[in-house]
Amino acid sequence: MLTAAAVCPAPPLLARELTGADPVVPELRQACLDAATELVRSAPDVVAVVGAGEQTREFGPHVRLDLAAYAPALAHGGLHSRGLDRQSGVTGTDEPLPLSLGLGRMLLEQAGYGGALALHSVHDRASAADCAALGTHLAEAAARVALLVMADGSARRSLKAPGYLDERSAPFDAEVTGAIRDGDMPALLALDAGLARELMATGRPAWQALAGALSGPPPAVVIRYCDDPFGVAYLVASLSPQHDAVPTSGRERG
Amino acid sequence: MNSVSAAQESAAQGMLRLGNRAFPPGQPLVMGIVNRTPDSFYRPAVTWDEAEAMDRVHQVIAAGADIVDVGGIPAAPGAEVDAAEEIRRTVGFISAIRAGYPEILISADTWRHETGRAACEAGADLLNDSWGGADPQLADVAAEFGAGLVCSHVGPQQPRTRPFRVAYADVMADVLDQVQRLARRALAAGVQRDRIVIDAAHDFGKNTWHSLEITRRLDEMTQTGYPVLVSLSNKDFVGETLNLPPEQRLPGTLAATAICAWHGARIFRVHQVAESRQVIDMVGAIRGERPPARAVRGLA
Repeated sequence: MLTAAAVCPAPPLLARELTGADPVVPELRQACLDAATELVRSAPDVVAVVGAGEQTREFGPHVRLDLAAYAPALAHGGLHSRGLDRQSGVTGTDEPLPLSLGLGRMLLEQAGYGGALALHSVHDRASAADCAALGTHLAEAAARVALLVMADGSARRSLKAPGYLDERSAPFDAEVTGAIRDGDMPALLALDAGLARELMATGRPAWQALAGALSGPPPAVVIRYCDDPFGVAYLVASLSPQHDAVPTSGRERG
Repeated sequence: MNSVSAAQESAAQGMLRLGNRAFPPGQPLVMGIVNRTPDSFYRPAVTWDEAEAMDRVHQVIAAGADIVDVGGIPAAPGAEVDAAEEIRRTVGFISAIRAGYPEILISADTWRHETGRAACEAGADLLNDSWGGADPQLADVAAEFGAGLVCSHVGPQQPRTRPFRVAYADVMADVLDQVQRLARRALAAGVQRDRIVIDAAHDFGKNTWHSLEITRRLDEMTQTGYPVLVSLSNKDFVGETLNLPPEQRLPGTLAATAICAWHGARIFRVHQVAESRQVIDMVGAIRGERPPARAVRGLA
């Protein structure tokens, strides 16, 4: 059973270490932290994190994100790491966590979560049905599961965007935002995977995993952040499932 | 010349203390030069007038200087400036800076203990002796006031003389020997270990080849563990290397600054504060000691 779900973007700059002296996007980090905190507050047995990766697979709980891959200076000790596990990230027997899962894990740790984790990447080319099946599987992994969906919108939203401007990006992202805001899971499942790839919207498989995880009536949704300060669409949302007669929201708000 | 003592004293860089502040390795300081002389080599007499000198203080602090270095005697030979005249030129001015900027670090560029004492009484935090400990009592003054002391290498030279056919079997070995001997003398006089700074003193007792060599090998100085000060700004070794007059030596100065920063120098005595600060910060980021001011490229 899903106790709560959250959607957060997964740009490297979410890691405070990577933006240098300037926090650059403190409001985005705060929104993500608030979303993660609300997940943790739903008292889950396990938090499942799902995000795009090079393959669909599960990662063990000891695998970490290697921030030094983005900022080598963090590896040779000159700059302090503010508690993110960069050296212990690479175990030698396993590859580091994909960015999306590593940042999700970081958010949960910042929210004070020390409980069980299920870390699952999903392939860029996975079908909507496979993504949804993964989401269903994750939601059923324990009696109480909270789901953190690490997913980015189009990276082609402006002339200065990483992927340059594609006029189709704005309507595509608006469709995703609308579907999440309205709790319209079928709309997420109907997203065009080919268009998402062309628009560099890497979040498509993770959104569809969310759709598979959320069954029943539309969830109550709070949009915490929706902007594209660097030409990439970032969306932060908290979703509270309404599937049974004992809503968790009473306890959350109390 | 004794490179053995240098090897024996090899140590990691530690904390540098000036005034009531502490600076760890990787946090280099910029010292802005303010000359109270009518005949400085660089832009002569531009801050001879006290009001203009104070304007210069405002400028270097606004540009990011951590230390203001006040000197009353040019390095080059010229009209005699005795201790009383040196004090008259600098000490009241130091008091005025201290009154205007309670937190700024102030350095007195002098080799004389009489001037050093008056400067410390006026609020100086560091005695910047460019002349190799010519007056041994300067260390006693630094110890008495808890001030910092710069121990510099001038080879065989006396204050306000020019190098004449100087030669060294190994100039860096001679530098290490002299500055560490002066540092030991300062320690014995009671100067605190973390307030002793060493300076190879580019151009002082050196021809251009020597100054280029100590720049190239500055890491041998930083390996002693003592914080290293460099004074490179618009000097003759830059001018001779590039065949340029003082007012055109900034690029060459900044190139030497970058090399010294790379080798771990911790105080940079400069005329052009803002430009030097940029170079030092850039090198610090390349060394991995300071983060970029703002990194977004490729991370969104």
